[in-house]
Amino acid sequence: MSSLVASNEEKFLRKKFSDYYSSSAVAVRGLEKREFGFGGWEKKIEFRHLSFRNETELRARLVAEAPLYISHSVAYYEFPDERPMPRKNWEGSDLIFDLDAEGHSCGKFTCQECLDRVKADAIKLIEEFLLPDFGFSKSELAVNFSGSRGYHVHVVSDAIYDIDREARREIADYVSGTGLSFERLFWNEGKKFYGPAPTQGGFGGKFARAFVAKLSDDSFATSIARKLKKPEEREKLKGAIERGNWDNIGIANRERKLSEKFEEMKLTMAGRIDANVTADTSKLIRMPDSIHGGSGFAAKRLSSPDAISTFEPMRSAPVFGSAPLRVKATETVPALNIRDFSFGPFGAGEVRELPEACAIYLLCKKAAILA
Amino acid sequence: MEIVSSYVERAEDRVREAIISGKVKKVPALSDAQEEELALYAIARMIVSCAANRYLINRYAVAEAKKTSDYLSSDSSAHPDYVDAVAAEFGIRFEKAGAQFLVPLGKYLTYTPRSTDYKLANREVAGGKVKVNSHERVRMLEEAVKKKIERELPIRASFPAEVKASGARVLALLPKLEANVVKVGQENYPPCVRRMIEELALNVNLPHTARVALGIYLVKAGLPTDKIMEIFRGAPDFSEKTTRYQVEYLRTKNYSMPSCSTMDSYGVCVAECRCGTPLNYRANVHGRALKKEEEEGKK
Repeated sequence: MSSLVASNEEKFLRKKFSDYYSSSAVAVRGLEKREFGFGGWEKKIEFRHLSFRNETELRARLVAEAPLYISHSVAYYEFPDERPMPRKNWEGSDLIFDLDAEGHSCGKFTCQECLDRVKADAIKLIEEFLLPDFGFSKSELAVNFSGSRGYHVHVVSDAIYDIDREARREIADYVSGTGLSFERLFWNEGKKFYGPAPTQGGFGGKFARAFVAKLSDDSFATSIARKLKKPEEREKLKGAIERGNWDNIGIANRERKLSEKFEEMKLTMAGRIDANVTADTSKLIRMPDSIHGGSGFAAKRLSSPDAISTFEPMRSAPVFGSAPLRVKATETVPALNIRDFSFGPFGAGEVRELPEACAIYLLCKKAAILA
Repeated sequence: MEIVSSYVERAEDRVREAIISGKVKKVPALSDAQEEELALYAIARMIVSCAANRYLINRYAVAEAKKTSDYLSSDSSAHPDYVDAVAAEFGIRFEKAGAQFLVPLGKYLTYTPRSTDYKLANREVAGGKVKVNSHERVRMLEEAVKKKIERELPIRASFPAEVKASGARVLALLPKLEANVVKVGQENYPPCVRRMIEELALNVNLPHTARVALGIYLVKAGLPTDKIMEIFRGAPDFSEKTTRYQVEYLRTKNYSMPSCSTMDSYGVCVAECRCGTPLNYRANVHGRALKKEEEEGKK
């Protein structure tokens, strides 16, 4: 339980957050049908089952209470504030993909390497799965920075609006390649060996296309068969695969080799998305454009899915500015760069005057106190 | 409302047959019997509604759905429009693609059984559509019919006395079946296994993958086939013969237990026990409890 008396840091942050919400608009699609959850210094969700009739009402509450974390349901309900859950009358949910650098060993402070990796994952998810395979249009995708070190992709589409948990789990499993079996892409029937054509959908087609493209690479080609050193042999093989013919291609141990290549190509996003989030039809997720209380960064909504490639979270997501603020480190702070200001490393007990964006980041991380 | 009593009788027979054998007799399509068939179907739904029992409803739904798919698979070559007409009832459009069909992703996921054969990761998925063959197309419609009946029944209305009496008679068939839901020493079972057993007792249609996993667990836990059969008896599509065969099959094959992450991908993992596989649950939980006791003893 949190202590009854709020710390100076918590009071300070709430004041800052309140100022932010009083000066910026909130926009949530289907707001009146969503359940909201607020979090504080100790817990990311302290109160839930909240609901608001419109943006004015929500914003007034945010200014008055200044929660450190604000989440809303991925679901749309008839009665969002009813409880227990079944009484809310679920109508449908957005389809969510949660990409996070969690599991990466960089510790509690955000590192550029993680941010870059997760960004690449998000782009892969959109460009290799959501658009081509699932057929969503860019206008159905809303991408936002998580406010910490990941991205959330919200799919808002009639095509998936009312599908259940199991169906959502299947979608997550598809993206992760969970349950994918090589024997279903390649198989023997009688004496013939069958495999996918590049025009095919799903992982079969992905593999065939990647395989044909990779044949131009010398080391790849010769690792399959020595004879593929010769360009004419490669062309012959390409031609066969393009016709969907993997039989009689003159490769020794072809099944073992193909399955090794399949693994190597990393066509799936295994371990890169949180399947439980995608499957959860009543998940509370960070409200886009709200402040993440663990960083002081906004869960910034991107103007379009394409904007992600040039988005720099450490530069664009911090909410606060450059006014100076004195803080005292309570643990070792590594070298960081926030809003193009480099600071650290410095040790516990050291006092620094930093631009607000940086100082508030340390306060939110509970790595510093006001000095 | 007036209902011809001979119709009620015949509708009751139809329900009884569905409950006992899991099948509903086929009536030739587009014959004079069609109208009568519709009437019988409507009355059967009322009878089942009067009985108002989840097990009965689900089992009846399975039987009616099976009948639909039998119709469609035998008649579709002669009347290809039938399949499209039934599909349209559920808002599904199958687009022809050579000898196969394309179906929108959301519909595919809603109306295919959760089994390895239908695992999305192994399917051809492109542009928001999934490819299915004609057999799978009919199987989807069977699932759609089943879900529709499960969702629509019981109809809440007041029915004629004759129908109510019939509902009571049908319900009287049940106790013998339901009394068999067993209490096994469940307290030591992992949460996922407990949950599946409870769901079966509530006549929930568990997906195929979950049933296989449960079967493997129970075999490995040393339960005799008869005991396992009793657990599965709650399944709305339970068939004595098939289940016995499948349990025995699992026993002879000695399959390994799916890991926790596989269970999770089946959507049946309900806790974070950190065991790796449900089989470790007992050892782990008891092991941890023992360790804790020891540690506390030292303090």
